[in-house]
Amino acid sequence: MPRVVKSREEFEGEVYESLVLVEGKDLPVPRAGTEFVEIAHSRRRIDGPQRVTGRARYTQDIYLPGMLHVRVLRSPYPRARVRRIDTKKAEALPGVRGVLHRFNAPKASFRGEETIFREEVRFVGDEVAAIAADDEQTAVDALRLIEVDYELLPHVVDLEEAIGDMAPRLETDGNVAEAATHKRGDAKRGLREADFVVDATYRTSTQLHNSLETHGAVATWDGEQLTVYESTQHVFGVRQGLRTALKLPFSKIRVLCDYMGGGFGSKGGVGKYSIIASLFTMQLGRPARCVLTRDEENLAAGNRSATLQQLRVGGKGGRITALEHTSWANVGQGKWVANPTGPTNTLYDIANLSSKSYKVVTNAGSLSAFRAPGYVEGTFALESAIDELADKMGVDPLVLRRKHAASPKDPMVGKRYSDKHLIECYRIGAAEIGWQRRRRSGGIRGSAPHRRRGIGMATQIWGGGGGPPAYATVHVNSDGTVVLTTGTQDIGTGTRTVLAQICADELGVELDDVQVRLGDTDNPYGPISAGSLTVASVGPAVRIAARDAREQLLGAAAGVLETPMAELRLEGGVVVTKGARTPLSEILTKVDNNTVIGKGARHPNDPDLSLRTFGAHFAEVEVDVRTGEITVEHVVAVHDIGRIVNPTTARSQVEGGVLQALGFALSEERFVDRATGRVMNGNLENYKVPTVKDVPAKITVKFVDRPDRRANNLGIKGLGEPPIIPTAAAIANAVANATGARVRHAPLTRARVLEALAIAGAKS
Amino acid sequence: MNAFSYARPRTLADALRLLRNGAAALAGGTDLVGLMKDGLTRPTTLVDLTGIDGLRGWSHPKGRGIRIGALTPLVELETDQSLAKTMPILREALRDAATVQLRTMGTVGGNLLQRNRCWYFRDEGTPCWLKGGTRCFAVDGENRYHAIIGAQECVMVSPSDLVPALIAYDAEIALTSSRGQRSMKLIDLFVAPRGRERREHSLRPGELITEVRVPEAALARRGTYVKAMDRKAWSFALVSIAAAAKIERGVARDVRLVMGGIAPVPWRVIAAEKGLEGSPLDEAACADAADRMLTGATPLRDNGYKVTLARELVRRALRSLVA
Amino acid sequence: MAARGPNISNVPLTSARRVVLRGPGATELALTVNGQAVTVQVPPRRTLLDTLREALALTGTKKVCDEGTCGACTVLVDGRAIYSCMTLAVTCEGKRVETIEGLAKDGELHPVQRAFIDADAFQCGFCTPGQIMSIVALLRETPAPTEDDVRRAVAGNLCRCGAYPNIVSAGVNAGKRKR
Repeated sequence: MPRVVKSREEFEGEVYESLVLVEGKDLPVPRAGTEFVEIAHSRRRIDGPQRVTGRARYTQDIYLPGMLHVRVLRSPYPRARVRRIDTKKAEALPGVRGVLHRFNAPKASFRGEETIFREEVRFVGDEVAAIAADDEQTAVDALRLIEVDYELLPHVVDLEEAIGDMAPRLETDGNVAEAATHKRGDAKRGLREADFVVDATYRTSTQLHNSLETHGAVATWDGEQLTVYESTQHVFGVRQGLRTALKLPFSKIRVLCDYMGGGFGSKGGVGKYSIIASLFTMQLGRPARCVLTRDEENLAAGNRSATLQQLRVGGKGGRITALEHTSWANVGQGKWVANPTGPTNTLYDIANLSSKSYKVVTNAGSLSAFRAPGYVEGTFALESAIDELADKMGVDPLVLRRKHAASPKDPMVGKRYSDKHLIECYRIGAAEIGWQRRRRSGGIRGSAPHRRRGIGMATQIWGGGGGPPAYATVHVNSDGTVVLTTGTQDIGTGTRTVLAQICADELGVELDDVQVRLGDTDNPYGPISAGSLTVASVGPAVRIAARDAREQLLGAAAGVLETPMAELRLEGGVVVTKGARTPLSEILTKVDNNTVIGKGARHPNDPDLSLRTFGAHFAEVEVDVRTGEITVEHVVAVHDIGRIVNPTTARSQVEGGVLQALGFALSEERFVDRATGRVMNGNLENYKVPTVKDVPAKITVKFVDRPDRRANNLGIKGLGEPPIIPTAAAIANAVANATGARVRHAPLTRARVLEALAIAGAKS
Repeated sequence: MNAFSYARPRTLADALRLLRNGAAALAGGTDLVGLMKDGLTRPTTLVDLTGIDGLRGWSHPKGRGIRIGALTPLVELETDQSLAKTMPILREALRDAATVQLRTMGTVGGNLLQRNRCWYFRDEGTPCWLKGGTRCFAVDGENRYHAIIGAQECVMVSPSDLVPALIAYDAEIALTSSRGQRSMKLIDLFVAPRGRERREHSLRPGELITEVRVPEAALARRGTYVKAMDRKAWSFALVSIAAAAKIERGVARDVRLVMGGIAPVPWRVIAAEKGLEGSPLDEAACADAADRMLTGATPLRDNGYKVTLARELVRRALRSLVA
Repeated sequence: MAARGPNISNVPLTSARRVVLRGPGATELALTVNGQAVTVQVPPRRTLLDTLREALALTGTKKVCDEGTCGACTVLVDGRAIYSCMTLAVTCEGKRVETIEGLAKDGELHPVQRAFIDADAFQCGFCTPGQIMSIVALLRETPAPTEDDVRRAVAGNLCRCGAYPNIVSAGVNAGKRKR
């Protein structure tokens, strides 16, 4: 019988309490020393053949008969009132089938606003109108024919200008709003009593996701049912958003996402493009496709906020006495803030601590979650400051951290961690990078006299424990093949493969016999693929569903073989009895057509525990002190995320996180013209994501790989975000170690490195 | 992209005849197609030159210099082993230019005539001076990639990697139009936009570059190309330099220094080259050359770092000639 | 030194025959795609990428930037890797185009495709067709590439998931295999 239970889950640094529906009993964690057949073994991705042949169909690849192509007219101004729109010329263009804008579009709620076309547009890229046409080129041509009368309003796009007194007030309460605070002990007193204090300001620039597949949707309405193909990390979230916008019941909306080309947090829910496509298909009776261009993607589909962060850290007697962290984040027109003080609050056991996080609105595109939102920005500042303090105190920064990193309790909420091996991460990482080679200051000689080498490190804390709700079903066909069904998505992390491994292992069938169906709101509910929670949420439910199916299969086998169930085992698709092996297919074909259905639900987390992932990155860099060029030679990434289900995909995930962090650390930065509010590099030419040649000569990936037995029935935790969190700080610390120059603004471009070198040179 | 007609003539004469008002010449398309997609160029007709015989490939008749057809794909210059020996600077410059796909598509002539990458110029929605507007938006806007020297009304920078290398080889170009043929020094193709000249090239309407010529004497110089980017591949130069000289008994003769990425034109200062005549290219000489190359540099808000970079690249390039 | 290529000093300045002007509307284009002769109607302003994806339903080639800055649209034209988003389809008259869909033969994956699966050389898979085509082009000229060769070949193919280390391994391993 289903029952309602209380649960406590963490999502992207915030903790939520909820009521969830579960059924049956959870399974115990497999005993230590259990030999798995699939789990803990490297396996090729089961969707590999689809992805390497071009057969994998992404949202962008959905072309339906009679489909209309939608393009959106976006505001060229950062803030303006749309007074009049004349679409006569556009509508007269042959092939144009429909136009939507604020004067004719039906009401459709979106993120608390009543319409998707605002009267006051608030950033360059804000939606003004949309055209549906027979082909894309016609839609593009028609956009140029729309005449809009704008009344320009004062604007501000820059974080620090928006905080200042001279900026126009964008909200009635001003541009700055307090978003989060935390206090323990007495930070002011701790700083007064410290022998050494670091008081420094750090900045991080706006990072753009640039998922290779842009946001987009194809919607089709058959008069009864709305089907939306969307590139999303959360089909159920999109369905929820469409229901709110279009006032349709869930039963009439189906959202599908089979393959998707990256999201990194930005594809967490419905977008205006999906609502626009839906409105067109419902009005015009033809499928409608609205897929953003690269430029639109970088204007209106989210970003990682730029931040300004002040840190004060006090030290005395080889320990940290106090920590004060204040952060301001440019959220654009976003309604929330990714909190950079998260790691400050939770990472180290520091008695006196105070943190404040402010949200700053500007006339720029809204933030959206970006892989460890807040934690990447915050860890850069925090871990740079800790190193600066260690340098001032003349102590080894790793030794200093160790003193505050061993606590088995979460210092913010006071609960015990379910498991924690951070000190072990430090030990492994230090050995792999050769920490003993690190000199206190001045670095090591590089490959040429003007090149200095340095070593640095930084720590990672993040959630990733997952939790309910998550459901799965396992259908066993009469030929012994298996279909695992759940509503979550595979955003490129290997979810399909890992879930298939768990299913095959628990069920006792071959991996090749398991098909995984996901990304469909007609499936059992699956969570958002974000917050490093997918596998830790869905995996345990899959295991229960597979166990349920296995028991039913053994029951069936007992009947067919006329053998007591207790004497039967299912291994590799074969029912094994004393002395006999019968393929499952043979047993199931002995009875009439049948489907064995196993069901599983994720059970709640222990509310008295804090579930966290831990890790540490170590970086060795070489800095050309005459040109400011940084070359990252070696990154060691060590993570404590419980049991590893697939070592190969886990390793890939870490490498990918490190490389995305490398972009944040060295080259990725959005530029907005302050006078016009226009994004100057909403493209892949001047927004510099790392290329293959930017990859460090060596990336060493290590896992503690011990099941977190209190986390869930598999002892697994998430890995999506941990590997992007500490890399930038580790690199900045290595650069400072190499050169004595501290760069406090990420990315560490040549300009910033040369400036810091000049300042350091002037001081010494 | 606007709608247009397309023709692929087989002869130069047909091409020139078609290149009338509103027509544009297409070779590799790597720049032109981008300009058209951005709405910056809206030709009524595209004249595809790639069907014309005789403009592709290169030759080196003994002692008479090198001639390179304007339609030669960059990748052919880069991968040819004998050319790599004869014109090593060219090879070095091309290896870090764009990507293998773009070097396969792009041609020599197209590379010389590519338009600048200033993000205000490339943004259709910004009515910048070069496009006929009233002011330069970069000069008091986002200008980390812009000019530190030699700019007037427009602070864009010369983007090509190939161009400094060719100028260091004293390259000349041959031009053809329906009015006839002429030739000029490659460096004279480039003009810093100023006053009434809102353009980057001195090419006349209806004129085509047919070939690049490098005199034999220039091939005697050794040389190098150094490029600073803000990632390790696939970026236009922040600063680049082609340096060439004859090294005789430890001193430099006949020096060429040509920089990219710092000025609206390929940047060459004769006084700097002359000052190195007979020099052992020691540290003092390098510093002096850098001073002369950068005399009058006036960095903008965000590009002061380019001065430091440029000085170091001058030093590095010159030192490598005697290494 | 021997002259390479045609003699460029004697370009005829005389007119040959009448030059056909195509467009601006749709015009007939004949080319070979994955070994098959095809004829499509395209206006001159249509790119090869859009032609492959829309007119020929070959959606394996991806559109990511549509301005020659990412490499996801890489296909082979006459055996060489190019960006199909910056190539006008009309310029491919009579040429040989190869896309990701044409690599597997008789249901058997191409060695580069197999190497990608074995090396876990993709995550979301969106850049993968372009990466694979770049390496296929490389292997035809350099059958046993070094890591550096592979890096140079895919330096024009961005991967946002950061699968680069495995892509490099896949390229090197593919060179070691025999079809």
